[in-house]
Amino acid sequence: MLMFILRRILQTIPVIIGVTFVVFFIMQLVPGDPAVLLAGEGASKETIEAIREQLGLNQPLYIQYFEYLTNVFKGDLGVSLKNSQPVLDEILVRLPITIELAFFSIIITIVLGMAAGIISAVKPYSLTDVSVMLVALLGISLPSFWFGLMLMYFFSVKLQILPVAGWDSLLHVILPAITLGAGGAAIVARMTRSSMLEVIRQDYIRTARAKGLRERIIIYKHALRNALIPVITVVGLQFGALLGGTVLVESIFAINGLGRMIVDAIRMRDLPMVQGGVLFASLIFVVVNLFVDVFYRFFNKRIELN
Amino acid sequence: MKERNKPILEVKGLKTHFTTKRGVSKAVDGIDFTLHKGETLGIVGESGCGKSMTSLSILRLIPSPPGKIAGGSVLFKGRDLVTMPEDEMRKIRGNEISMIFQEPMTSLNPVIPVGEQIAEALRLHQKMGKKAAWDKSVEMLKMVGIPSPEKRAKQEPFQLSGGMRQRVMIAMALACTPEVLIADEPTTALDVTIQAQILELIKELQTKIGMGVIMITHDLGVVAETCDKVAVMYAGNIVEHASTEQIFADPKHPYTQGLLNSLPKIHEDQEELITIDGSVPSPYNMPAGCRFASRCPYAEDICAAHQPDLVSYSEDIKVRCWKYTDKWTGKRDKEGVV
Ligand SMILES: Nc1ncnc2c1ncn2[C@@H]1O[C@H](COP(=O)(O)OP(=O)(O)OP(=O)(O)O)[C@@H](O)[C@H]1O
Ligand code: SF4
Ligand SMILES: [Mg+2]
Repeated sequence: MLMFILRRILQTIPVIIGVTFVVFFIMQLVPGDPAVLLAGEGASKETIEAIREQLGLNQPLYIQYFEYLTNVFKGDLGVSLKNSQPVLDEILVRLPITIELAFFSIIITIVLGMAAGIISAVKPYSLTDVSVMLVALLGISLPSFWFGLMLMYFFSVKLQILPVAGWDSLLHVILPAITLGAGGAAIVARMTRSSMLEVIRQDYIRTARAKGLRERIIIYKHALRNALIPVITVVGLQFGALLGGTVLVESIFAINGLGRMIVDAIRMRDLPMVQGGVLFASLIFVVVNLFVDVFYRFFNKRIELN
Repeated sequence: MKERNKPILEVKGLKTHFTTKRGVSKAVDGIDFTLHKGETLGIVGESGCGKSMTSLSILRLIPSPPGKIAGGSVLFKGRDLVTMPEDEMRKIRGNEISMIFQEPMTSLNPVIPVGEQIAEALRLHQKMGKKAAWDKSVEMLKMVGIPSPEKRAKQEPFQLSGGMRQRVMIAMALACTPEVLIADEPTTALDVTIQAQILELIKELQTKIGMGVIMITHDLGVVAETCDKVAVMYAGNIVEHASTEQIFADPKHPYTQGLLNSLPKIHEDQEELITIDGSVPSPYNMPAGCRFASRCPYAEDICAAHQPDLVSYSEDIKVRCWKYTDKWTGKRDKEGVV
């Protein structure tokens, strides 16, 4: 197990390097000369040349890349073109907000998704099951920006029980977290249901019945624990999708998180900021995947060895 | 064998059918037998003849859908299990009637320590406290011969060998000292030495607590060693029912004769195993006549036309074959039959 964790951590190193590589080349792919962009409109040839010199843009690409890599490892992500503040400082302000949003959203995904899946699986093909699965199907197909706006309209504009936007209190978290978590909840619900139905057919469930246990205990004690093992992977994948979703949801609900920062930076053509934001988002993704893998392995060990 | 007062288990005309896309499979099609206290009944027959479905029907554990008990009754101490309400049935399962399953590798929950899997039945049926139930389950593991039971009880099934898992299953089945134990091929998955130990163990416990045992197997050696009487099943029916000695000394039904012929005989220098030619009829499409007719060396016209009943040949022997009725003409040499 320890070996596995160690190996898994080592495996992330090439991935992280790959990420920096991609992020670095975003800069190269942007049409136009970065030095011209940085200098702003109407800058003189000398200024542009000076910037180019200063940023090492005259160097061959691979040297530029290694320079970038060393800087990243030193914690230097460059400065924002907008306000000349270090990119890292801005990210460190924004990151906790996004993490908070993601945390509450994944809680909604897990709790809502699993509960719905279990309710469905206990009485398959019943009216409850069919309705829950229909809602889940809707949840998967609805675009989240539309869903978010709908929630905002009902709860904030019509009923006026929840704030429209912003990020000041826990109340502000509710709607964005639901918007962001709903799609994942729908997927987790479907996965939980099918996994439960699969587990219920197993021999050890028959053994539990033969013992005279109540249906409730058979479901929650004997079936659920086994059924949730594959669901963990799905939750992990959903977490990745959810991180992508923060970009949209933060924009809809005017939350100053990392996602919105990246969008704003793109709009402003603030390239160092985009680079830094994407780099961090990718790192979170890699770390979350690492956790999911280790977690899954831990739960799956006994089944694999069977 | 003398009839001992009232039987604890009395199965009458039990039918279990599976309704699938292919049609209705009559997996169990009218089974009758009785079991007394302290007695061991063997059920033998080829794979697919309905042995497991018969035993699962007794505890109402048939996967449903597609399965369903289509008729008959199972009287346990006079009460019919087939029509009993589910919550009363639950009090009998694992408590008064227990079952050891054919599949030791998959019949234990992979994520629950084995000690807990035994203890939960004790807490439920014997109203034991947590500690008492745990201690008792460790004691049960010790009794079935698992070394260092305190340590093993805390382990999950994947940490145990196949033989140990089957012992755990046995410990689980016996924890509440049931009056009836249904053992479905309890030893098939195990090697010969462990097999002997486990059979010995069941026997030992049987004399100790006087339970009735239904021993399902296709190993006639196991039958000879452990059973008082034997029911031979073929295609969802019982074709012969008699004491073990009787079955081995003088089998009546042609199928039973075939089964015994296919046993390797140690004392004769006969290398080749004799098997019964032909195949079992599909449970989806049972013939109208005797179900063994297509494979039977004695078959006559009446065999294909009408199904024989299970009738008493003598006080102890019941057989389902036209040969032992007065409808039998005795002309054996039919065309096309060897
Ligand atoms: N889920 C099912 N759907 C349809 N038919 C089934 C199902 N389960 C069992 N059957 C039918 O029940 C019949 C009897 O099966 P059973 O498991 O009782 O055989 P068995 O005598 O225990 O055989 P074995 O020696 O291989 O354990 C099978 O031939 C099959 O046709
Ligand atoms: S009834 Fe006829 S076919 Fe069936 S076992 Fe007897 S002799 Fe054979
Ligand atoms: Mg079987």
